[in-house]
Amino acid sequence: MDTESLIEQVASAHRERSVDGDVKYARGWHDLNEADRVKAFDVAAQNRELEAALDAEGLSSTARAVLARLGR
Amino acid sequence: MSQEIRDSLLLAIQSGDANAFGRWMAEAEPRIRASLRSFASQVDTEAVLQETLLRIWQVAPRVEVDTRGDALLRMGVRIGRNLAIDHVRARQAQPEADVDVSTLEQQACDSAEPDPLLRQMIADCIGELPGKPAQAFHARLYGAGAEPDETLAVRLGMKLNTFLKNFGRARAFLIECLGGRGVELSCITGERV
Repeated sequence: MDTESLIEQVASAHRERSVDGDVKYARGWHDLNEADRVKAFDVAAQNRELEAALDAEGLSSTARAVLARLGR
Repeated sequence: MSQEIRDSLLLAIQSGDANAFGRWMAEAEPRIRASLRSFASQVDTEAVLQETLLRIWQVAPRVEVDTRGDALLRMGVRIGRNLAIDHVRARQAQPEADVDVSTLEQQACDSAEPDPLLRQMIADCIGELPGKPAQAFHARLYGAGAEPDETLAVRLGMKLNTFLKNFGRARAFLIECLGGRGVELSCITGERV
């Protein structure tokens, strides 16, 4: 997978959970260099901003994922 | 949403009201995310942020409203910072620089109340997306972080790499479209990515 796609993958709000419930790193994160990890951060911020703007309650996918963990 | 309203939500959150926590997160998440940017090269900030929000929910019953206001948000920024430092240490690296929490809070962008006009503008731009990028964007949007991209891609009959390319094209198109309507995103970095 090329760097551009890895950045897109890391910028997703989806994160797997470990058996003890910890939030695991995105699969592609370790394959990015430091500069591209920062790019992924900025892309994620834009994604979350778009998601929140489109949500009637102003919630991003991050917030939705967290609420799902709470059993809302 | 004012600091007073965020503080008033704390009481509901402390009583176990997840909807109130959702309202609080709508305001607090961008601020806490911004506070983690200096760690982005060394930790997966999305993972740290989600862990931070879960811990905030757990510790909220012990937080007291104080005269400075936004006690839960200030605690959240500290939890996030400490978690990020723990992750850095666990990876046997060192943080690039010590972090001043008060400065980070000032750097965070102002999150906005849900804005029907902005939502409509984005929806209009989404309506102009080409087919495959539109499919990828909708899949992520409706998935709300619950499913991995691999699953979303299979559902759309795309290879993972194709799905990710299409999603990237969709975001770039939307930012361009919104820019043409006078809307700039990326309040955290102050620049387009």
